[in-house]
Amino acid sequence: MFRTGSRRTHDEGPAAEALRLVEVTKTYGFDDSAVTALDGVTLSLGRGTFTAVMGPSGSGKTTLLQCAAGLDRPDSGIVLVDGAEMTGGTEAELTKFRRRRIGFVFQQYNLLETLTVAQNTVLPLRLAGQRVDRGQAREVLTSVGLGDRLEHRPGQLSGGQQQRVAIARALVTEPRVVFADEPTGALDTRSARDVLRLLQQTVRVHGRTVVMVTHDPVAASYADSVLFLADGRLAGRMDAPTPDAVAERLAHVGDDALKAV
Amino acid sequence: MLVLALRSIRHRPGRFLATLLSAFLGAAVIMTFNSMHDTAGQPGIDSAGSETLSLSAGVVGGYGTLLVFFAIASTLTVNVRRRAAELELLRCSGATWAQIKRMVVGEAVAVALVGAALAIGPAMLGGQLLLDVFQDSGQVADSVDHSFGPIALMSGIAITLFAAAGAAFLAVRRATHRRQLRDRARAFSAYAALVVGAVTVTSTFAMSASDEALMAAPAYGAILLSVGFALLATRLLKTLLDRLSLSGPSGWLAVRNLRERADQLAGILMSLILFTAVSTATLTMQAVESDTVEKLGIVKDIDAKTLQTLNFTVVGIIVAFVCVMLVNSLYAATTYRAREFGQQRLAGATPGQVLGVVGAEGLVLTATGVFFGTVAALAGIVPFTVVRSDEVMPGQFFGIWLAVVAIAAAVTMGTSLATTRRVLRAPAVEAVGLAA
Repeated sequence: MFRTGSRRTHDEGPAAEALRLVEVTKTYGFDDSAVTALDGVTLSLGRGTFTAVMGPSGSGKTTLLQCAAGLDRPDSGIVLVDGAEMTGGTEAELTKFRRRRIGFVFQQYNLLETLTVAQNTVLPLRLAGQRVDRGQAREVLTSVGLGDRLEHRPGQLSGGQQQRVAIARALVTEPRVVFADEPTGALDTRSARDVLRLLQQTVRVHGRTVVMVTHDPVAASYADSVLFLADGRLAGRMDAPTPDAVAERLAHVGDDALKAV
Repeated sequence: MLVLALRSIRHRPGRFLATLLSAFLGAAVIMTFNSMHDTAGQPGIDSAGSETLSLSAGVVGGYGTLLVFFAIASTLTVNVRRRAAELELLRCSGATWAQIKRMVVGEAVAVALVGAALAIGPAMLGGQLLLDVFQDSGQVADSVDHSFGPIALMSGIAITLFAAAGAAFLAVRRATHRRQLRDRARAFSAYAALVVGAVTVTSTFAMSASDEALMAAPAYGAILLSVGFALLATRLLKTLLDRLSLSGPSGWLAVRNLRERADQLAGILMSLILFTAVSTATLTMQAVESDTVEKLGIVKDIDAKTLQTLNFTVVGIIVAFVCVMLVNSLYAATTYRAREFGQQRLAGATPGQVLGVVGAEGLVLTATGVFFGTVAALAGIVPFTVVRSDEVMPGQFFGIWLAVVAIAAAVTMGTSLATTRRVLRAPAVEAVGLAA
């Protein structure tokens, strides 16, 4: 579905480990009002996996995603994407690091209103200085079921359609990891199911790696495994999740963390 | 509603800074020049001096009123657009449009009153300086004392308040009414201004080189032409953008952004066109006039000197006002785009690329504004120099033009790039979340 470009010359093919975090810590605020959002998180995700990250509000799941995706800089610890260490230099350096390795999907889509669907989709390629043609946009949009909406504006599409455009945009650079932050948070049940199936498909059929933050047990059940987070620490893992099992576990994930203290 | 208006000013004084500055500058200019009426009205002043003072007060006072109106209207339009969400919330909580109109007009009048009060001191000082200039050049007798009387005070306060109220009224109307009819009215006035401007400019050829009022026709013609172009600014920009393609991702995005936002950019383009045309035309004609007089060895009479002082003052006032308007609208328009910049960064744009987009937009805007401003200015300058000094392209033009373009470019690019840099300091994820 997605062409492999010659730009892969920067490394020797994909590493077996798509994402690795070592002792990642992040604190917000100062002194008395300091909040530890991530408290020494270590984890490793293999290539071609679909992982959901869950936890109560304030458990640090969004911080985890932003640190892992290079949108925020951890206070300490190491983040490796596809075997390459993310070094916190300038924003421009981080952006260039992300371009070839990371794709994003957000709850609010974040498509540019001034551009058409096709232009939005290939924007990351254009910004990376690559030549793009209409064929590329058509190809990737067809794969998310929107091949007939190339010239529409984001505002003319439904929420579910906009999120599928966002997924197409995240996949167009053939990233090693796709991060999704509550991708179904603003969608109705039917659109949410379409989006989740699409994410599942990119993993199962095309071998991409997807990390999704969600608070919805049904959304999490589409993943291969679920990581639970409480008070900035990992608090368990569940493989082959079902909505009921996830909901049950989520209800008690805080208790485990309290016991551990 | 008036209570709400005062409260909203007290809690967000920053938002009214641009309006306050426009009101302050406007009131200062009007009071300074109208204090010449007071001075001229003193007993025991000779008739020539009295005439000089009254003439300058009349001309610049008129210009000043127009400029105050436009400057306050521009800052308030930006202000109302930025507060669309707040006004909508008020409307949802049961406020009628009439009440909202009263609130915005109330705010504007309150701010204008403060601006006018602050302007009294500087205007007294400015009036004294202006009188010194007239006295140094011998246009007014040294024995005349400056007087800051009721005419200066009353006209300054009254004009500023009325301009603010009218501008606020228009700003709300603009935010609530449909565009259809206004577009047609605007196109009509634009073409009318262009036709009258062209006729006025051409009428210069019917005059003789020694006519005292020779400069008037081409100068007013150039101003009318620039007003015509300014009113057509959006349409001109759109036509240009359909033919323009810039290379590189930043240039590509810039052209698309400009095309989408052409309507909102009309104000900025308008300021640029008027600024270029009025300052280039007035300064070049004045320079040609002075040089020709010098070459002919004629000693300037008092009227010529008055005219020169007036020309320089008018240009100075226009430069100051247009700078305030440009800086304010560019600052507001750029701050408003924080979310868009965040989205570009999340899609893989480096901060440098975002700055590149804004820079390319600024360049296109400056180039368009300067081009049409220059066309209007030349339309006035060429007939004037042909009649006055038998040359087509005066040598003085290029230096003046370069200086004007440099100021226009520096203000446009400086404001938008500096504001963008500030906006980019917030992390991209935060910038996207704030307005969501």
